[in-house]
Amino acid sequence: MERMGIEMSKIAIVTDSNSGITQAQAMELGIRVLPMPFMIDGETYFEEITLSRREFYERLASDADISTSQPSPESVMQLWDELLADYDEIVHIPMSSGLSGSCQTAAMLAQDYEGKVHVVNNQRISVTQRQSVLDAIALAGEGKSGSEVKKILEEDKFNSSIYIMIDTLYYLKKGGRITPAAAALGTLLRLKPVLQIQGEKLDAFAKARTVNQAKSIMINAIRSDIEKRFGGVSPENQMYLQIAHTENEAAAEQLRDELAAQFPDYPVYVDHLSLSVSCHIGPGALAIACAKKM
Amino acid sequence: MGLNTIDAKMFANMFLAGAKNLENKKEWINELNVFPVPDGDTGTNMSMTMMAAAKEVAAIENPDMASLAKAVSTGSLRGARGNSGVILSQLCRGFAKVIKEYDELTVPILAAACDKAVRTAYKAVMKPKEGTILTVARGASKRADDLAMAGEEDLEVFIREVIKEAEIVLSQTPEMLPVLKQAGVVDSGGQGLVEALKGGFDAFLGKESDFSLNMETKAGSAGVNSNIEAQANVEIKFCYCTQFLIMTEQELSQTREMEFKNFLSSIGDSIVVVADEEIVKVHVHTNEPGLALQRALQYGQLTNIIIENMRLERDEKVSDMMEKEMQRVPEAKEPEHKDTGFIAVSAGDGINGIFRSLGVDDIIEGGQTMNPSTEDILTAIDRINADNIFIFPNNKNIILAANQAKQLTTDKNIIVIPTKTVPQGITAIINYVPDISAEENEAVMCQEAEHVATGQVTYAVRDTELDGRKIRRGDFMGIGDSGLLSVGTDLQETAFDMLQGMMRDGFELISIYYGADVEESAARELADRVKAAFAGCDVELQSGGQPVYSYIVSAE
Repeated sequence: MERMGIEMSKIAIVTDSNSGITQAQAMELGIRVLPMPFMIDGETYFEEITLSRREFYERLASDADISTSQPSPESVMQLWDELLADYDEIVHIPMSSGLSGSCQTAAMLAQDYEGKVHVVNNQRISVTQRQSVLDAIALAGEGKSGSEVKKILEEDKFNSSIYIMIDTLYYLKKGGRITPAAAALGTLLRLKPVLQIQGEKLDAFAKARTVNQAKSIMINAIRSDIEKRFGGVSPENQMYLQIAHTENEAAAEQLRDELAAQFPDYPVYVDHLSLSVSCHIGPGALAIACAKKM
Repeated sequence: MGLNTIDAKMFANMFLAGAKNLENKKEWINELNVFPVPDGDTGTNMSMTMMAAAKEVAAIENPDMASLAKAVSTGSLRGARGNSGVILSQLCRGFAKVIKEYDELTVPILAAACDKAVRTAYKAVMKPKEGTILTVARGASKRADDLAMAGEEDLEVFIREVIKEAEIVLSQTPEMLPVLKQAGVVDSGGQGLVEALKGGFDAFLGKESDFSLNMETKAGSAGVNSNIEAQANVEIKFCYCTQFLIMTEQELSQTREMEFKNFLSSIGDSIVVVADEEIVKVHVHTNEPGLALQRALQYGQLTNIIIENMRLERDEKVSDMMEKEMQRVPEAKEPEHKDTGFIAVSAGDGINGIFRSLGVDDIIEGGQTMNPSTEDILTAIDRINADNIFIFPNNKNIILAANQAKQLTTDKNIIVIPTKTVPQGITAIINYVPDISAEENEAVMCQEAEHVATGQVTYAVRDTELDGRKIRRGDFMGIGDSGLLSVGTDLQETAFDMLQGMMRDGFELISIYYGADVEESAARELADRVKAAFAGCDVELQSGGQPVYSYIVSAE
């Protein structure tokens, strides 16, 4: 294929299962998804490959000892090697460097690939990470090079935000993932903490006593982000709205209707939170995210 | 023959006597509360407001009208507690604005001062309600104006007529406010105002001669500093407080009693001589206790002689306070500066703990049993080194005092979230979002607090009828946001009935805070019953440890 006399390079897109993109969806999109490994009671499982969502929540409910780790360097390099047999370049979009070492590891490994692998450090997770993958596919389709795609995605990294209401602090405490600020949420009352992921930080944003209060805090926060940071709520300024949840389908659907009523001009996408996020926050969580359309 | 002018000395005496009379009648005024709840505090609140001003008045050595006016105004403003107290302080402030311009007060000046007082008070209240202290004050002021216009100059006639009118309006308050009529009482705030006026009039007539203030102060960390000042500034003219009984052979004749009183006034002040068949009780402040005893021996034998050196005692009291203050200093290091601070009014270990765990910096002990004063709130504001301070009054009777504190604060941005109950306060502060502006937070907090329904269970302190229901003393009452929800002789039943009256569609969470007098097992029983009855709601049980209210229940 030629464009303006320069041969267009063939780009493969890679992400991990934190994006919420399933293996089947990956096939449709023409990309690859690295499954995140889990350790459950000492045994290793791979999201969606050897561990289904239902099994995962059953083990979580039975209070099994679950931990996550990053994809092994071996599995990453194996995938890259395989892809580079057919493609010229790889754009690799791992989960946020603020939440996992995956990105750093991948960036280190990429040094041995002579500039053919571009690791995107844009600090996204879940539905916003998924959006980055979709954007990358579009950019590659427009003929952008791997390094251009990386640059554009990284420049765009702050154009998204996520708020997550969690049902209980139990799993955050258990996993030792709780930040000092979030720990302060553990008060005498039972609360519904709202956390925020923005760039590198996952931190306490606010707290509520009831699900409805938490939802209104998140909707207000998203509205305020769009107004103040992303150019305002209007049909001309397109935003993607997303909802993600952990085993909370009915509530997520209801929230979709509420969000659609509040922001009639924007599409709302609903997805499960990836299991590697779920294992830290437990079931019953509800998240609202937004990303600016590129 | 009457007097046409009041000088500064006389005005000071009248004000002090007014404060004293209010203080003496406060328990009785407390009982005029519509809701027969324990410690319905209108009398106490008004008295403490007026006493705060009286202390400043008493501390002025050579009073002139301007300094008295300032003392009356600032003292009552800072001492104000409770709604009636705040309104009383605004009446004082308005009155003071006019009289400070004159050396002597006449009928036209007093009429103008009354008018200004009423206008100022009406302005301070967002939604003035008729049938309250405001109506009584306005009636009195109108009469004052009529008399002045008619050319009345005799102050005795003038004051008597004004008080008479105040009493007439007061007696009509049950016709203006149905709740008063139902409870069979007149407005307590209006009664308080009448008592203060009457006390002042007694002093004018010379009936009241003891202008010493009973300086007992309610314990509490707040306001200690100003007490020290007030105590230290009071110049003690007569050093020995002298008290004794004379055992007379026969009843003291009026002439001899007068003669003895006159003698005592030649050597001291604060004179009380009460003759009762064979015993005469004597109290005098003097520098010559010996002379008082010597003279008394003419009438009979002496007994129960107590002579105290007030100067030493006062110094002790002051140094005691200074010492306590000094002890506070090491821990009272300059607190680190922060962007936002929180003050909540709260009572009960459990509820205090909940507020602290939610990030409240300073808790002012109080609530229904004890309305904190504007001064208490100002002291709390002082203690917090923050640019923005949110205040949660958590009682409808404290919101005005909090607003007054806001007005008196110039160096910090004060945001009063008008929470009327503890659960409203808890929900409001939970909904605070650190990342948004104070104004945005104010809007969110107010909105969320309004979605909380609160019910509180307490017991009746007297028989009454309320919202068409008969209540007997000792009955439990469930009181909701807009009135009585349940009455009964069983605490648990009354609490449950109240909650049923509170519930609306869409509520997700019921919180039960049980009071100091409730056993955990009983509270758990109630919580289980509520869980079973309202399956769609989460139910949370907390030990509140609060006084007065056996249960505080909220639904949201």
